[in-house]
Amino acid sequence: MMPPQLKIAALVSVGRNPASGAPRAARNDVLALDAALALAPEVSVLHAGDAAPALYDYLAYGAANVEVLPLPAGADALAPLAARVAGYDLILCGQRAEAGQGSGTLPYRLAKALNMPVVSAALEITLLGDEAEIVQFLPKGQRRVVRVSLPAVIALHPLAPRAPRYVYASLRAGRLLSAPALVAAPLPASPWQSEPAVKKPQRLKPLETRQGHARLLGAIATESKGGALVREGSAAEKARAILDYLRTNRLIEF
Amino acid sequence: MNQERKRLDPRRPFVLSPAGLRRIILGATGGFDASLLAAPAHTPAAKPLRLKGDPAGYLLVAAHSQRGMLDAHAHQAIAAAALLASPQQAVAVLVFGGLNEDLRAYGADLVAVLPGADEQGFAPEQELASLCEFVTRYAPAHVFMPDNDIGDGDLGRRLAVHLEAEVATHVVELKPGAVAMYWQGGAALARGPMPLVVLIAPDVVETGLPFSGAGETVAPPAAQAPPGRYQNRGLREIAASALALEEADFIVAAGNGVADIPTLEAVAAAFGAAVGASRVAVDEGKFTRDKQIGATGKTVSASTYLAVGISGAVQHLQGIKACRHVIAINSDASAPITKRADLSVVGDAQEVMTALLAELAQRNWPDTARESV
Repeated sequence: MMPPQLKIAALVSVGRNPASGAPRAARNDVLALDAALALAPEVSVLHAGDAAPALYDYLAYGAANVEVLPLPAGADALAPLAARVAGYDLILCGQRAEAGQGSGTLPYRLAKALNMPVVSAALEITLLGDEAEIVQFLPKGQRRVVRVSLPAVIALHPLAPRAPRYVYASLRAGRLLSAPALVAAPLPASPWQSEPAVKKPQRLKPLETRQGHARLLGAIATESKGGALVREGSAAEKARAILDYLRTNRLIEF
Repeated sequence: MNQERKRLDPRRPFVLSPAGLRRIILGATGGFDASLLAAPAHTPAAKPLRLKGDPAGYLLVAAHSQRGMLDAHAHQAIAAAALLASPQQAVAVLVFGGLNEDLRAYGADLVAVLPGADEQGFAPEQELASLCEFVTRYAPAHVFMPDNDIGDGDLGRRLAVHLEAEVATHVVELKPGAVAMYWQGGAALARGPMPLVVLIAPDVVETGLPFSGAGETVAPPAAQAPPGRYQNRGLREIAASALALEEADFIVAAGNGVADIPTLEAVAAAFGAAVGASRVAVDEGKFTRDKQIGATGKTVSASTYLAVGISGAVQHLQGIKACRHVIAINSDASAPITKRADLSVVGDAQEVMTALLAELAQRNWPDTARESV
C-alpha cells in the first residue's frame, strides 16, 4: 500500500542581487523549493506579497505554479501564511531572506503560530513515515542529525548541497496564481529607522578614562598570554607535553 | 659671569625603580622608592570591579560552549553586556555546556553553567525551558546572545518568539539603548531602540575591558522540559582530509623546518587533522597552493593548530589569528611563533614528530575508536 501523500509547502520570497540590487529569486528559497521537489512531486509554492516578476524564476526552478497571497503594504505576512499552510505536513523555507529585514525569525514565528516544531540550518531532509530526519549544519566540518515529528517547519541552510536547475521551458509552462485576499494584521508602527548603509558601523568599546601616566603605561603594557615553553627533556618527554596539553584542554579524545 | 649661569645638576636627586632605572621626579628628595618596588614595572595592575555594591538590575548573556570554552563571539556578547550595563546592573551569564575558563575578564558578574548541554547536543525545548527560568529569575532588561550557527542564534530566536518579545538579529552596532542592523541584504542600516533579545553579529565589540566582573558562580536553572518532538541522533563528522582548511577544527601545519613530509602526514592522520603549510613550504613545492596558510593563503579558525617547524612570520600569524590553541614545535626558542603559541616545544621537529607517533601508537585502543566516539 502506498503511504498517504504528504502535503508539502515551500515558502518563497523575492530576493535581491547583492551586487546590483536587482530583484531575483532568493538563493536560499530556491534551495528550499528544490529540497521540497525532491521529497514530493507536488509542492505548494507560496509567496506572501505582490506578484513580482522575480517570482517567475521559481517556475524555472521547478515550481508548477506560484501562489501569491496578496498582502497590503505594511502588513505582517505571518497571519496569511499561517492560515494558508495550516494542515500541511512539511513547510520548507530559506533560513534568511535576502530583501526586507532578513531577521530569520519567520520560521520560528510560523512554527509557534501553527504549534509545530521548527528546525533550522537544514542541509538534507529525509522522510521516515511520520518523522523527518534532518542533517543540520554546524561549523568546523560537523553535521548533526536530528529527527523531528511531522508536521514541522524546516529552514534550509544556504550551504545545502543541492543543485537546482533553471529550465526556461518550465518558466513558460508555469503560472502565477493569485489567491483571494485574506485579512492580514497590520504591523505595529515600526520603531526602526532605515538609512542607506554607507558608513561603517561603530564597534562598541570601553570609554578611555585613564589619563596621563596611566594611559601611557597602558600603551606599553601588553597583555601577553605567555605560553608555556618546553625546552628541556628528551623528544619523548616533549611529545608527552604536547599530548598532555591536548588532553587537559579536551582537544583530543584519547 | 660664567658662575652665574644656571646649569642642570647631573647628580640631582633621583629614585631607583625596581628595574634599576634612574627616575628623576621633580620635588623628590632622592633615595629608593618603595612604592615602585611594590608594583613591578610594566605589569598591569588588577582591574577594578565594574559593579558597585549590590545589583539593582540585570543584563543576561547566554551562549553555548565548545570543549569547555566559549568562543570569541560569545566573549564579545558578554563584553557587550558589561559595557552597556549601568554601574548598578549585574551581568548574568548562562553557559550551555561545561566551562573551564574564567569569564571575569569579559565582565561576567554571575555565571551559571549547565554542563552536558554543549553545542553537540540538540534539545531546544529543554534549553528554552532553562533559559526561560533564568530570564524569570533575573528579569533582565536585555538578553544578549551571539548570533552564530552553534545553537545560540537558534535559541535566541526561539526565546524571542516564545516570550513574544521584540528581537534584533545580526546586530552590527550597539550603543546604550540603541542597536543597528543591516536590512536589504546589507544595503540599508536600520537603527532602533534596543529590544529585549539582542543577537549580536561577530566582531562588533572589543573584549579588552578596563574593568573586571565579579565572576560569582550561581546555581544553574533546574527547569525540566517534557520529552519533546525533537530527537538528537548524534554528530556526523567529516574526515578532516575531505574538509576545506578553513572549516577544519584541527590543523597540523608544516614550515621550513620539516623535511620529512610523510611523517608529518602520519601525525596529522593520527590526530584526524587537516594538513596545512606555511608559504616557504609551499614555495618549495612540498605542498600544493591550496594548503597555504597566511596572508597570501588561507585564513583558518581551527580550535587546535600544531605548527611544526614554522618560525611564525607576521604574514603567517595573520592567517591563524582565530585559532584557539596554538602549539609550536620549533628548534629556535626565540622564534616569533613562541610568542603566539600557547605551548612551545623547543627541539628538532623530526625527533618530536617521531616521538609523538610512538606515543600515539601506545594507545590502548585502535584508531577506529576515534570514529565511534
